[in-house]
Amino acid sequence: MSAASAGGGGRWASTGYGALFYLFLFGPLLIMTGTAFNSSSFPRLSPWECFTTDWFGVLLNDRRLMDGLWTSAGIGLGVVLIAVPMGLAGALALSEIAPRLRAALYTVLITPVLVPGVVLGISTIVFWGQVGRALGMPTTGLFFDGVFLTIAGQVTFVSAYAMLIFSARLQRFDPTLTEAALDLGASPGQAFRKILLPFLRPAIASAAFLTLLASFENYNTTVFTILADATFTTALASKVRYGIDPSLSALAVIIIALTLIGAITHEAVMRRRAAILSGRAARSRLYGHPAGRLAVHPATILALLVALAGLAVWQGSRYDSSACRAGVLEERRALQEKLMQEQRARMRQTAPAPAVPTEPPAPGGNGSGFGGAFGSGLRPGGSSAAPAPTPAAPSPAAPGSPPPAPGSNPAPATPFGGAFQGIRPPGG
Amino acid sequence: MSALAAGLKGFAGRYGPGVALFVGIAVTVWVVLLITLPQLAMIDISLRGSGALHGGTGAGHTLSNYAYFLFGPNGQGNLFDVAILLRTIVAAVAVTLIDVVICYPVAYILAHVASGVGARLMVLGLIVPFWINEILRAFAFRIIFGSTGLINGLGTSLGFLAHPVDFIGADVALYSSLAYSYILLMIFPIYNAVEALDRNQIEAARDMGASWPRIHWRIVLPVAKPGIASGATIVFMLTAGALAAPQILGGPSSLWFTQLVYQWFNEAGNWPRGAAYATVLLVTCLGFVLLMMKVFRVPIGAIGR
Amino acid sequence: MTRDVLLDHVTIRFGSFTAVDNAYLNISGGEFFSFLGPSGCGKTTLLRCISGFVEPTEGRVMIAGQDMARVGPNKRPTALIFQNLALFPLMSVAENIAFPLEVRGVSRKGRRKRADALLDLIALPGVGDKKVYELSGGQRQRVAIARALAVEPDILLLDEPLSALDLKLRQHMRTELRAIQQRVGLTFIYITHDQGEALTMSDRVAVMNRGVIEQVDAPTAIYETPRTAFVAAFVGETNVIPGTVLAQSGVQVRLGTPLGPLVGTAAGGRRYQAGEAVQLFVRPEQLVMDAEGPIAATVEKEEFEGATRHVFARAGLQALRLSRVNAGAAGALGPGAPLRLGYDAARASVLPASDGGGAIDAGLTA
Repeated sequence: MSAASAGGGGRWASTGYGALFYLFLFGPLLIMTGTAFNSSSFPRLSPWECFTTDWFGVLLNDRRLMDGLWTSAGIGLGVVLIAVPMGLAGALALSEIAPRLRAALYTVLITPVLVPGVVLGISTIVFWGQVGRALGMPTTGLFFDGVFLTIAGQVTFVSAYAMLIFSARLQRFDPTLTEAALDLGASPGQAFRKILLPFLRPAIASAAFLTLLASFENYNTTVFTILADATFTTALASKVRYGIDPSLSALAVIIIALTLIGAITHEAVMRRRAAILSGRAARSRLYGHPAGRLAVHPATILALLVALAGLAVWQGSRYDSSACRAGVLEERRALQEKLMQEQRARMRQTAPAPAVPTEPPAPGGNGSGFGGAFGSGLRPGGSSAAPAPTPAAPSPAAPGSPPPAPGSNPAPATPFGGAFQGIRPPGG
Repeated sequence: MSALAAGLKGFAGRYGPGVALFVGIAVTVWVVLLITLPQLAMIDISLRGSGALHGGTGAGHTLSNYAYFLFGPNGQGNLFDVAILLRTIVAAVAVTLIDVVICYPVAYILAHVASGVGARLMVLGLIVPFWINEILRAFAFRIIFGSTGLINGLGTSLGFLAHPVDFIGADVALYSSLAYSYILLMIFPIYNAVEALDRNQIEAARDMGASWPRIHWRIVLPVAKPGIASGATIVFMLTAGALAAPQILGGPSSLWFTQLVYQWFNEAGNWPRGAAYATVLLVTCLGFVLLMMKVFRVPIGAIGR
Repeated sequence: MTRDVLLDHVTIRFGSFTAVDNAYLNISGGEFFSFLGPSGCGKTTLLRCISGFVEPTEGRVMIAGQDMARVGPNKRPTALIFQNLALFPLMSVAENIAFPLEVRGVSRKGRRKRADALLDLIALPGVGDKKVYELSGGQRQRVAIARALAVEPDILLLDEPLSALDLKLRQHMRTELRAIQQRVGLTFIYITHDQGEALTMSDRVAVMNRGVIEQVDAPTAIYETPRTAFVAAFVGETNVIPGTVLAQSGVQVRLGTPLGPLVGTAAGGRRYQAGEAVQLFVRPEQLVMDAEGPIAATVEKEEFEGATRHVFARAGLQALRLSRVNAGAAGALGPGAPLRLGYDAARASVLPASDGGGAIDAGLTA
């Protein structure tokens, strides 16, 4: 920031604007995080009832989500394995062909990114269905399989993401390096393997990562191509559409935590690389001292963060909010009792009036906090399918857990540990 | 075609026939089998009668599905569906404009005001929300804007809202969520464009006594234009094609056009009509984008750069 | 014989553009041979053609008597040192040098041994484990040479490898390169636009202009007896005096010029008709103050450059320039001082005026 160029006023304006902007960006995440720890069965911050970690347990016991997670992981793996080489091929083709043709090919390859996902999904199932029928394939065949179709549909546009990453990297490649390799006696294949591929390695890693993420996140295409099956994201969407509870906030907390761990580690890696590249590492006292080097090594930082997260999970899994919950329940009952008594008193006064029960706040609620507003023209009456939030049936694999009282704490550590391992993208 | 062959030959010379073959096959599969043929298949099925339910081949081609979109079941005009399409386009344009207005200053700050640790933190801060699943982002806005959500809850308990406001019905939640979701895709193209601007130009203009609005209008904006066009195209297409957010946050009276496609396809099981509606969406959106690019004189090659 | 290169009427065209026009040249084994010319003259194309990256449109490239048509760069007994060196940034110095051995399947140990030996040769022992970016410009230069030598080529091709270095280092590397060449005894084919490099290092120099090889000769001959106006103007500084032939006897030509009648030597023993338009080329250091000299001029200004003083003079419309060694009684000359100038007619070339007048301009500005 150069105050001279921006001027004092400009500086304040940009700082203020930046602050507002990041408030907008992080506000929803912070609110979601907060609601994950409120025992209220509708995700909210106020009124705050009890601090609880039970929603994580509810999340982990959602079979549909957890099954979807595995389906998503399989699809993601398939997409990465196809889209990364395909994006690489596209980028290589773009770098090599004549400029006039290049613009045309680029337009064709980039189009799937712009085409609405709905369109991609529909065209994919229609096309492969026709191919399958033309080949006389039974409807249980590969071309009618949700996982296959989803991979085909996602690869269409995810490859373009990979291609953009590779193109950016290739633009910085010095083609004389390939010529030098050839001149020094390497075969063309060796020049590719020993010179170009190593140069592209960072791009391969980021492309793999981005394609995995894009595949995992995708809804618009997948909701068509997955057919009767469900991925994590489509399962999540139907859960949100038909009633919400704070276990979704718990999911957001997990993803945010993983993202932060990943981002901080990545930052550490980048800093280390920059320091080494600039030669600063050799001079710096921090890097010069073995202990200092170890302390700022990305692996150390990652281990530290993971340990921290593990500690939080362990603490969270031991936390028992049942006493507080019982208190809240008791309070409500008392309130209800009082209201009823008042009503009875009133009824006695205005004797024959028909009983109009003041609706008490339903303990627990059913999560359809929006009532009719959310029936949405799509599927009438689909709004009350919320899972009853009896949080966390204790894991059967955890002997010695307390007897399953309502609102009991989930089994120590194991479900959380499992979730963290499960959600972390394979190989990520 | 000969240029393509020459390209492949150049490849074979550089990286060997194996790599050339791999590139040739992969690009062909991608272009033909994944991009072109499926689109043609979709257009084909959209031209078939309802005998082709669930993708079966009906006899002959017909325009009946498109006629249905325009004229409805009785041939008297289908104001409902056409209005939804128009509303979707207009709303997508609005969301895109909101994002341009929000993101331009941030991109500029990122490129020319912030530096060092601050800039890195800002970038990190941009990326983190983008990692959260699109469904969860919509969910967050439901928590905030729901009838018993954060704003209504706070508003009524603090007393400045007499009654809960129906943000969902007014589509406030939907537009906020869409604008929120695609911020990153707007900022980075603008940032890439603005970053190329030599800061000396800004300082020179400042030195000559230009005011800040004038500097932006005459110097920064022209440089940012391709980036804005690129970001706007992506955000517009994604917004117009969004499905999850309208499903989660859409009011009962306001459908997004993608939801119509979804209904015909997944709920009514009428594949030809669903395909026809999808084609209408695709053609309208692409046509609109191309028109805008023509108006603002931006080449399509600028997209994604 | 094994290290000979024959360019057998090589023509290279890109579309309608002719980059190299009918080059015929024999480079013998163990020679240090330079191509000298302004940028865009086709010298780099010719080098890429010898190394196998460009196929000739017409003609043949013969190495050691073998036609190199359809022999890839990786199969030719040549090694090219690129202008930007093209060291592999992701590899260590030793890995770079050992790359030619790696692709041939030499064991890790054998590679390391050879790399260390080559590092000794280029006087950089012990840097094998460094990364390329940790080296200085001159060190990288030498590593690139070591890597090329690891191929054990018969012919080493160098594409302006010194152009990125600063003046001092460049001069040092000239001697170094020449020494390495004499030590290993390979054929060096060197490309440059810097005449100093070409003249100091080479056994022979080919001067190229617009795709055409204008003259192939030893450095002294190139400088002293240029065969074309382009060569005369491009190599070194020179005074160009236009004129018409009056008479020729043997190689001595008398010509009429705006400065009066002058005498020069017909380069290459060429015969001129009386009245033919020609140009007389006199080097600034050949133009000397001589009370008996045929040219009368006045001083316009003088520039001082350490060892030499450059005098800019004028005789009528003709600008003249002479270099005086800054020694002995060489005092400063004030503007307006009258001068009498003479030169050695045997070292002043007469060349046809039609011979690429435009090229002379290009040469002077290059």
